[in-house]
Amino acid sequence: MNESLLLPALLLMAILSALRARINVYDAFVRGAREGLQTAFQILPYLVAVLTAVSLLRETGLLDQMQRVCEPVFAGIGLPAESVGTILLRPLSGSAALATVNDVMQTAGADSRAARLCCVISGASETVFFTGSLYLGSAGVERSRYAIPVSLVAYAAGVFAAAAIVR
Amino acid sequence: MGMNGVFCVLLLVGVLHAAATGQAQEAQQALIAGGTQAVELCLSLAGAYAFFGGMMGLIRESGLASGLAAALRRPLSRLFRFELGEEAALTDICLNLSADMLGMGNAATPAGLKAMRTMAQCQREKGRASDAMLLFLVLNTTSVQLLPTTMIALRAQAGAANPADIVWPTLVATAVATGCGVLLCRLCSGRRGR
Repeated sequence: MNESLLLPALLLMAILSALRARINVYDAFVRGAREGLQTAFQILPYLVAVLTAVSLLRETGLLDQMQRVCEPVFAGIGLPAESVGTILLRPLSGSAALATVNDVMQTAGADSRAARLCCVISGASETVFFTGSLYLGSAGVERSRYAIPVSLVAYAAGVFAAAAIVR
Repeated sequence: MGMNGVFCVLLLVGVLHAAATGQAQEAQQALIAGGTQAVELCLSLAGAYAFFGGMMGLIRESGLASGLAAALRRPLSRLFRFELGEEAALTDICLNLSADMLGMGNAATPAGLKAMRTMAQCQREKGRASDAMLLFLVLNTTSVQLLPTTMIALRAQAGAANPADIVWPTLVATAVATGCGVLLCRLCSGRRGR
C-alpha cells in the first residue's frame, strides 16, 4: 500500500463522518487547528533548552566523541552511531528526542537509515519518565513496583524491532 | 521528571569541555545558534501541527473518537484483570487509549489521569499501584499511536522523499513494544497464572 494515501484517506474519513454527524466541519477544523498551534508553541521553550544543550555539545565536538565511544557498542547490536542521542533521550523528554531527530536529519539526510530509524523510534515510543511520574503522581502512588523497569524494557524491545525493520 | 538533571549535566559538561579544549568561541556561537534553531523548528512544525490538530478536531467532534472508544471496550475489559471496583475506570481507559491511538495526546491525558485516580481509590493499601493500574501505565508509556503525525511533519519539513514512509515500521515497532510491555506486566503481576 502507498503510504502517501494514508493521510488523504484519513482526512476523507474524518470529513465524511463529520458531515454524517451534522457538525460544522469548518468550525471543528479551526478549533482543532488552534489546539495544534498551541501545542507547537507550548513545546518551544523546551525545544530552546534542549537544542541549546545539543548545539553546544555538537559544535564543541563532544557529541562526536560520545558517538565514537558508543559506536562499537551500538554497531554490535545493529544501531547506527547517529542514533545514540535519540535513543538515550527519548524516554526522558519528547522535545529533546524531537530535537535530536531533527539534528540527525539535518546532518545525515532525511532519507538516511539513521534518520528513518530515529523517526521510527521516536514515533513508536513515549516519554517513559514524564508519563510515569504524571500518572503515578496524580493518583498518589508511592509504590510503583515494576512500572518503570517494564516500560524501559518494552522501549528497548521497540528500539530493537525498529532497527530490525528499518534498512 | 529527570530532565533537570539531564539538562544541567549536558550544559555543565559542554561548557567545561569547551573551556578545557579552548573552544570558547565555538561554544558562544553554539549557545546562541541553539535558540535560533529551536524557533525555526517550531515555526516550521506549527503549520503541520495546526493541520493535524484540525483533522483531529473533526475526528473528535464527529464522534469518531468515541466510536473507537466503544469498540475498544470489550477487548480491554478482557485485557485488564480488574480488582474489585476498578472496572469503574473502564470508560476513561477506553477514551484515553483511543485518543492516544489517534495521536490526540492533549485529549488523552485528562481521561488517563481520571482513570488512574479512579483505580487508586479502590486500593485497600493506599499508595500501592495495582496490576491493572500498572498495565494501564505501561500501555501509556509504550505508546499506541497509529499515525506518527509529529514525525511525518518533521520529515516533510526536512525534505524527505516520502515523509510517510516510516508509518509501517513505526506501527510494527510500537506493536512489539506494547506487546512486550503487556507480556512483562503479566509475568510480573501478583496474580500469576489466573
